[in-house]
Parts: sequence; C-alpha cells; structure tokens
Amino acid sequence: MTTSIGSSVAASAEQAGGARPRRGADLIVKSNLLLVFLALCVVATLLAPQFLTGRNIANLLQQSSLTGIVAIGMTMVVLTAGIDLSVGSVAAFGGMTVAILMAAGVPVLPAILLSVLAGAVFGAIMGGLSAYLALPAFMTTLAGLTAIRGLTYLLTDGKPAEAAGAESFQLLGGGFIGYVPIVGIIFVVITILAAVVLRGTTFGEYVYAVGSNKEAARLSGLPVRGVITTVFAVSGALAALAGVLLTSRLTVGQPTAFNGLELDAIAAVVLGGTNLFGGRGGVFGTFVAVLLLSVLRNLCNLLGLGSFFQMVVTGLILLVALVLNMLIERRGARA
Amino acid sequence: MTDERLRMSGIVKRFPGTVALDGVELTVRAGEVHCLLGENGAGKSTLMKILAGSYRPDEGTILLDGEPFSPSTPHAGLAAGIAVIYQELDLLPDLTVAQNLLLGRSPRFGPFVRRARRAGLARQALDRVGARFPVTTRVRDLPIAAQQLTAIAKALTADARVIVMDEPSATLGESELEAVFGVIRSLTEEGRSVIFISHRLDEVKAIGDRATVLRDGRTAGVYDVASTTPDEIVAAMIGEAKELVRPAGRPAPEGEPLLTVERVHVPGLIDVRDIDVRPGEVVGLAGLGGAGRTTLLRALFGDLKAHVTARLDGRPFRAGSPAAAVRAGLALVPESRKEQGLMLGLSVGRNAAIAALDRPPWLLPGRLGRRLAAPALAGLGVRSVGQSQLVGQLSGGNQQKVVLAKWITRGGIKVLLLDEPTRGLDVGAKADLYRQVRDLAGQGVAVLLASSELNELTANADRIQVLYEGRNIARFDPRVSPESAIAHAVITGATP
Repeated sequence: MTTSIGSSVAASAEQAGGARPRRGADLIVKSNLLLVFLALCVVATLLAPQFLTGRNIANLLQQSSLTGIVAIGMTMVVLTAGIDLSVGSVAAFGGMTVAILMAAGVPVLPAILLSVLAGAVFGAIMGGLSAYLALPAFMTTLAGLTAIRGLTYLLTDGKPAEAAGAESFQLLGGGFIGYVPIVGIIFVVITILAAVVLRGTTFGEYVYAVGSNKEAARLSGLPVRGVITTVFAVSGALAALAGVLLTSRLTVGQPTAFNGLELDAIAAVVLGGTNLFGGRGGVFGTFVAVLLLSVLRNLCNLLGLGSFFQMVVTGLILLVALVLNMLIERRGARA
Repeated sequence: MTDERLRMSGIVKRFPGTVALDGVELTVRAGEVHCLLGENGAGKSTLMKILAGSYRPDEGTILLDGEPFSPSTPHAGLAAGIAVIYQELDLLPDLTVAQNLLLGRSPRFGPFVRRARRAGLARQALDRVGARFPVTTRVRDLPIAAQQLTAIAKALTADARVIVMDEPSATLGESELEAVFGVIRSLTEEGRSVIFISHRLDEVKAIGDRATVLRDGRTAGVYDVASTTPDEIVAAMIGEAKELVRPAGRPAPEGEPLLTVERVHVPGLIDVRDIDVRPGEVVGLAGLGGAGRTTLLRALFGDLKAHVTARLDGRPFRAGSPAAAVRAGLALVPESRKEQGLMLGLSVGRNAAIAALDRPPWLLPGRLGRRLAAPALAGLGVRSVGQSQLVGQLSGGNQQKVVLAKWITRGGIKVLLLDEPTRGLDVGAKADLYRQVRDLAGQGVAVLLASSELNELTANADRIQVLYEGRNIARFDPRVSPESAIAHAVITGATP
C-alpha cells in the first residue's frame, strides 16, 4: 500500500514535465490560430487604413456575431461527433416566427422566447431521432434543412414578414453601446456560457465523453442519448436566436435568410480546432475562427476584391489551417 | 498418403513479454484433413498466421512440398498455395458472390469488367464446392453456411495446396456443417491438404485423419484420429502440470446471495439458469469462445434485449439499460477495454471520474473528478504521468486498472461483472489485477468473472460455472474439483 502511494506521489511530481509535450502541441495549435488572426489584423491595417476604425470594427463584429452564435452551438454538436446541417433553416424559421408573433400582438420577450423554443424543439427532434433510432445526424439534419426551410416559406407563402415592433426589439439586433454592437456582446456572453458549461459542468464532461467514445460512455452508465438530444436542442435554440437577432436588425423577417449558414458555422468549428470526430476542441477556438474568417472577408471588401475572390481565399485558408493542425498534431503525438 | 505436404519444425515466436510458440512441430500430409487442437492461447492462431505469412517466426523452418518456404506477406503465402479461411469471413457483404470471388482479378476488356465471363468463372468456382446459389446474390443475403462456402470457393480460386479453416463450425448449424464437410472430403480427394481448427472433438472425429495438439506453445502430441479416444486428446490438451496450482485456502463466503439469477434468456443465444453470487464471492464463468459468457454479462448489465429473472439484494432486478444497471449498483469491465472500456482520447483522471459525476454539485467536473479519482488511482497503483496523461498512452495493465478505478471512484458497487479482464496483459499485470478484484470482493462486492483462462478461474474464483452452447451445464468448486474435470466439461459439454 505504501509503495503504491509513493509511486503516485512521484507520478504527480512528474506530471508537469511529462504532460508538457501534449499540452505544448495543444497550445501551439490554439495560439497558432490566434497568431494568424493577429497577423491578419496587422496586414489588414497596413493594406487598408480604414480597417482599424471604430466604425469598421463595429460593423465587422455585428456581421460575424450571428454566424458566431450558431457556430458555438455547432461546436457542442461536433464535440459529440455529430453534425447539424439544419441551422440555416432553423435560423430563418426563428426569424420569421418572431416577426409574425410580434405582428400578431405578442409582446417582445414572449415572442423571442417562443421562437428560440421552437428552434430548440426542432433540434431536439432531429437529435433525438439520431440518438434513439441510431440514424446518422447528417441525414436527420439534412432532412431538417429541407423540411424546415419549406415550413419557413409556408408561414407567409414565401413573403417577408414585417416585424411591427417596439424600439427595444430593434435595439437588440441593431443597437450599439458606444462602438460595441449589442449582438457582439450577446455573442461573447454565449461563448463564455458555453465554455463554462463545457468545462465546468458534469453535462460538459459528458459531451466530451460521448464524443470520445460513445460505446464506453454508454457502458459507463452515462445518458448518451440524452446528451446528444440536448446538444442538438442547444444548437437549434442558438440558431433560432441568430434568426431573431437578424429580424430585429432588419425589422423584417426574411424566409430566404441564412442560406448556407451551416457551412460557415462548420468551417469556423473546424478552423477553430474542434475535431470533426468528436471529443476534442472547444468554443474559444471557434470564437477566434469566426473573427478570423470575418476579418478576412472584411479585408477583401476593403481592398475592393469581389465576393468570388473571397470565397476562394476562405476555402484556401481553411485548407491551410487543416493541414497545419494535422501536422502539429502528428508531431505532438510522436513526441 | 505418406506424401508430405507441409512440415513446420522448431517454430518459435516471441512477443514482448511472452513466448507464444516454443518449438512447435507440425507435419501435414498431402490429401489429409489435419486437425489442430488446443486450448485458448495454446498457439494455434499464431502458428497459422506464420504459415499464412502474417507473422515471421523467430526460429524454425517450413518446408512446403519439400521446398523451403518463408512467406513474408499474406500475399506471398497465397501465391505459394496457402489459403486461410478465417472465422470472421473476409467477404465484402454488399458485393455479389461473383464480385467477391474475383475481387481484384475480374476479367477485363479495357477499363470494362467482362461481366458474363466473370459470372462464368464464379459459377465454376461455386460448382467445385457444390454450391447451388446464383453468383449474382449479394453476400449479405446469403445464409451463413453459403457465405462459408463462398469463402471456401474463394480460397480455391487461388489453387491452394493447403487450406486452413479456422473454426468454421462456430457459426454453422448441423446440416450446414455436413455440406462443408462434403466439400472438405472432395478437396482432399483432389490431393489438397486441409488444416482444420476446431474446439469440438465430435467434429474432429467426424472429419479428421490426424490431429496435432498444441499446449502452451509446444506440440503436445500427434494422434491418428481413428485410433484415439476423445479422452486421450482432452488429456493432451489440458496437460498434467497445472493440477498442482491451488488457491490459498480462503473461507468460502457464506450468507444470503447478493445476486440471484433465476434465468437469463436471449432467444437463440443463451438460456442460463440458477446462478447466485454472495457478497465477497467470486463466481467464475468458464466456457469456450461463443459459449455465451459475454452475452450473459451484457444481458445482466442491460446492454441487450433479454428476458432476465433475477434478484438483487432480495428485490426483483432487471436492468433496461446500462445506465439503469449502474444506478442499481452493477459495474462492468467489458471485454474490449479500448473500444468499450475507455475514452482513449481523454486523460486518465477524466476516464476514472466519468461514472462518478452524476450527482450534485454538477460543477467543476475537472477539479472534482481529480479529487474523487485520486484515491482509487493511487490504491490500484496506476502508473501514469499524473492524471492528465491520455489514457491511450498507458500500458494494457494500467488501462484495465483505470477501467476498474472508474467503478471504485463511483463507489457503491454491489456486483462487479468482469469480462476477460486479463486479455493481453502480462503475468505481473494479471496477478496485480486479480489482487485488486479480491480486495473488492473482500469489501463485500459480489463478482462474476468470465475468462477463457481456466487456470485464472481456478486460482481466483470461489465457484465456477461452466457455460456450453449458451447453457450453464455444470458447476464446480475449484478447491476440490481437479482442473482437468472442469476443462473436460468446458471442451466436451459433458456433465460429470
């Protein structure tokens, strides 16, 4: 007994040194992204003097926050080794329902809550189907992408819905505190909340466990299906929230909004270093990646490069980041 | 029939920490069915992998039709005429029979497959094994016996001189087996040699000409099947030396059973009755591969659909899911620690704590988990570079201890189910693990221990239940029953 305690004491003394290679690799991967981001900001400042103006930064934050909020939910789904293709449609649905509810005289707060709840329900249905019937989430959410978009069009027969509403509602999506857009604050708060949930609660620990090895998690008595259903519900709720915020800014619900949002969100998640096969990653990487992608877009705009060019650059950046991450991981594993 | 087809002599194969083969001799004549027998771990698979070219032997020579033969890859083995039909058939289930039979060798016209010609060649191959089903059938849609015939036909397309069949009977029914035997007989009539690996002595009697028995990596004897009784072969498989190993005198636990299993029924797989385990008792489950030990444990743990009639602590008990089983106080150390026991990409500490977090405060699982898991990890002597090392980087023995630590950290275990807990561990790690299991038993945990290693069961179990083809056919007290009697029941299914 004494020997085993002795060895474990010795083991924890070694801990700092031995764990370093792996942590080092993780740190490089993470700060790698941050360094690229900062370098890009410097380049942007040099190339386009108007980049570092308060108005531009505020604009940039406002544009990236909605994608960012969705990407945070997507990160949680991907951490369980799932994927949610329906976020664009759910966001559009959320944006439409909030407009319609308010036009029907529902007060602001209940209208928002109901819309977000609808997103959560959609997510829970798709995630639950995937978890309880062992269907691939790729398929259930692909079905959701189509069906929910169709439902969104059906709400108004494809026409935009006027959000006849209170000024407070418009402030939510379009308002600023100083130079800081309110949606940016919401994005930051949600990122922090998600990080706290993932790293600081039992539920978060279960998310990583399920993503790392679903079978082992199940045989450890974890509520695997519940965890999967929940992360999809969260993803749906956050997507709907993004839709609500867009409607608030535009003062009108657009059924065609957020086409292709799922790809932007997944790109940010992957660029942020979260493993598509689950179990590894986190929301801070996603946060930085969202900003990086939008700075890139912003820079292209300021330089007067067209959106076609932007798409090519974004794709290439994504590829380079993936290859870099892979190389660093391999070296980390070998060390 | 004295023509010598294959001679493997002085074959030695070492793996880190163990000698798998220690000078094995195997001689196979042309046109004979040669049975290869031995308990789990005797070295049959390793020997056949050397023959097929999957492993290189450390010492020894192989002569094939008098020529020295040392295949370096399975492809070289196949080219020389060695065809191995593994128990898990290596067919592609979604392709047709014809596609499978000529995989990678389809007749072509430019870039196009000549389908008619391929079908013709496949038909010929099937006809040779007497198979009647169409070559356009998808393999998935065939019954197991037909799949087995397809695998044999595939082996024959390579014009094999020696065909190795690894426990073909494990998945076959009576009549299907007869069909396969018919094919084996016609193959040997063509002068081909068949090496037939099986656990079942009645099959050996029915099909075999001669038999080589392996025990602990050595050749224990070569027998002419017709003139040998099953008892002689069983004796050769079991050996004598192990008789002396007896567990130190432990008092048999007494008192009311903690877990009483009246019946566990999984239609088509197992029908086990009347097993009970007292607090502090280790009940061993012995049996051949496929006898139903894993199924029984999974059924009790709520991991598959089963009719379970059991009592835990005197109350009726049936777990609908692993989560329910865990809540009721069951813990499972599953068969495959990498696939089922551990989250290899997460740290030691997170693995050890994961089952203990389903209670308040629900917060700070990292810090809380490290604190909760520390005593168990230290008590089990897990050697890791701190709790933050990834569990995938540990040795097998330490990984298995982390699985155990997961349940100790959770606490409140009433029944511990162990499924082949020492697979792949070296001798020291095995002893260490069993010491921990006995410690747990000493604290009043009831233990069900399934193992293929009979000597581990006799050394560590208080009672042993023998499972054979899904039923528990006999029970033994290892303190008084000789190991040979238990082994006899395990292999033959005969009750003493």
